[in-house]
Amino acid sequence: MRRLTTLLIVLVLTGCPPSNAGRAAVPESEGFLEQQTGTTEPLVIVVNRTNPVDNLSLAELRTIFLGGRSHWANGRRITLVMRGPGDPERKAILRDVCGMSESQLKTHFLRGLYSGDILVTPKTLATPAGVRKFIFNVPGAIGYLRISDVDASVKTVRIDNLLPSDKGYKLHAQFQVANDGE
Amino acid sequence: MASKEHKIGWSRRPGYAPGFLDPLLRPTSRHHAGLLLFLVCCGVAVVGAFVIRDLQTASAEAQKMYFGSVHGLQQIGELQYYAQETRRATLYALTTSDSNLQVEYADQSRDADQRVKDGIAEYSRQAKPPAETAVASRLTRDWTNYLNVRDEVLASILEGSTKEAVSLDLSGGVPAFELVRRDLNEVKRLYDDDASQRLAALVASSRRSAWRLIGILGFTFLLSGGAVWAIQRSRMLSAIQLAKLQMEFVASVSHELRTPLAVLSSAADNIADGLVEDKAGMRRYGAILQKQSRSMGRLVDEILLFASTEDHKNRYRLQPLEVSPLVDSAVNSTEGLAHAAGFIIDREIEPGLPLVIGDAPAISRCLENLISNAVKYGGDHRRIVLRAYSAPLERGAGGEVRIAVVDRGIGIDPPELARIFDPFYRSPRVQVAQVHGTGLGLSLAKRIAESMGGRLSVLSELSAGSTFTLHLQIAKGDGSQPGATASPPAESSRP
Repeated sequence: MRRLTTLLIVLVLTGCPPSNAGRAAVPESEGFLEQQTGTTEPLVIVVNRTNPVDNLSLAELRTIFLGGRSHWANGRRITLVMRGPGDPERKAILRDVCGMSESQLKTHFLRGLYSGDILVTPKTLATPAGVRKFIFNVPGAIGYLRISDVDASVKTVRIDNLLPSDKGYKLHAQFQVANDGE
Repeated sequence: MASKEHKIGWSRRPGYAPGFLDPLLRPTSRHHAGLLLFLVCCGVAVVGAFVIRDLQTASAEAQKMYFGSVHGLQQIGELQYYAQETRRATLYALTTSDSNLQVEYADQSRDADQRVKDGIAEYSRQAKPPAETAVASRLTRDWTNYLNVRDEVLASILEGSTKEAVSLDLSGGVPAFELVRRDLNEVKRLYDDDASQRLAALVASSRRSAWRLIGILGFTFLLSGGAVWAIQRSRMLSAIQLAKLQMEFVASVSHELRTPLAVLSSAADNIADGLVEDKAGMRRYGAILQKQSRSMGRLVDEILLFASTEDHKNRYRLQPLEVSPLVDSAVNSTEGLAHAAGFIIDREIEPGLPLVIGDAPAISRCLENLISNAVKYGGDHRRIVLRAYSAPLERGAGGEVRIAVVDRGIGIDPPELARIFDPFYRSPRVQVAQVHGTGLGLSLAKRIAESMGGRLSVLSELSAGSTFTLHLQIAKGDGSQPGATASPPAESSRP
């Protein structure tokens, strides 16, 4: 009973409907293929403005986004902020940072929470503005945004000492192009 | 007899109690009364302007206070509301686990706290008294402290640490917000105190205005009453004075008529009694009868003429006239009178005088009156000069012709100069000296002069003589060409 309750909580917090739990291990390669066509835009890792962290390695980022690290160096609790499943930015993070599919990520967090290895569960927000506001309000929050969605309310973090505008920056999201070119 | 009448005086007549102000009001003419009324009107207008300004000031103060109160209360109400809203939105975030909703609540809380900050800044700017400044700085500090706690609470809620958020709010948020609430109550109390003081000041100002208004109205009422009383009193005194003058006139006329009548009666008796038998005696009596009857006729003519000019209507036929014949006519008419009194009349006529506008018989009559007056009061010098000359107008451009009648007689007292042209007026000095007259001669001369567009002026020095000057208008377009010659006075041209 306790395990079932924990499972339900995890599902709610990760934004996955219970009906998807049965096929959590199924790869979603179709979704990846669909997103391969379209424009590419750098994906920016953002934190609260009071966070002293300026640079993270891709490995550190992977550890954080997989819940392997619970606190920052200044003692603040780390709060992960992600967009909902199916979102291009989320897919890019899963692919480039976590190296997992959606279902693998769910399984990872389910297992980690169940075993007690993971103490941090991602918060899911529906819009880029919501992500910005969440990070602005929570000193230990970390999330990601398209470069066009970044403003002064959040702080941009270098990845492997590279800014999104630098050559060799690794995080990019692909978006489908609408008929009118947007 | 005139002296006796003067002693009786108007102030002793039954039914009239003289007042202590009568000496001031007695000389008051209609012009004085009109001037007084005009001054009262001016006073009322000035007072009215002050009252209106006072009322406008009071109204402006009331409106200012009303709008200030409404605005101030609205600001304080908004400050309290948004402070509560800041806290309320924070606590709403506790009621949901949806991060999107929690972010919305956090946003609402931050919007509300920004409004509170703006309100506090506005209040700090407006705060002038030390008490308000102290409260403003305390409120700023306490609100900042509360916001620090609120931020921690919001962060905990968004992180998902509900228990920690509640704990933080209870330990830090509630006391911090309580301080803010007290500060806001203090702000409201200070505002109420200030509003009470302003209300008290406004009430005092209104009361002052009311008293001022009452005072002003009372003063205006008294002033108006005094003016009306003075006017009525002046009119009454004038009427009494006129009645007195008329009585004196009747007495004078009676006296003037009685003397020749007595002579006529005596002469007629002598003739009837056969006391006059010879031709020479009859001729002498005839001359006496003729002289006395003419004297009575002149007196009656003068009275009738004055009565006919009472309405001041212009009944003269004005035309351009030569001056010299006018002077000659007047001198000829009065030559007998002057010679009888032992007077010599000299004529000094400036050559080339322009034509004047007037009615020849009227001008002659006017000059005759002035000459008769000079004969009566000419004193022992027994010389009268008629001087005609042109002179510039005293006011404005152009010129006029003046005919002056100069005597070296008894002169006129300066206080009497203003009254000598009043109808029936006779100087007490001449009444005492029993100089006969009706008091109509100068008045009639003045009316005649003014009816022709001219005027009559007088210069006099006591015991040195008088100069009465008739000012006549020059005919338009006249150089010095004679237009018409004066004709002797005719009954038909008399008013």
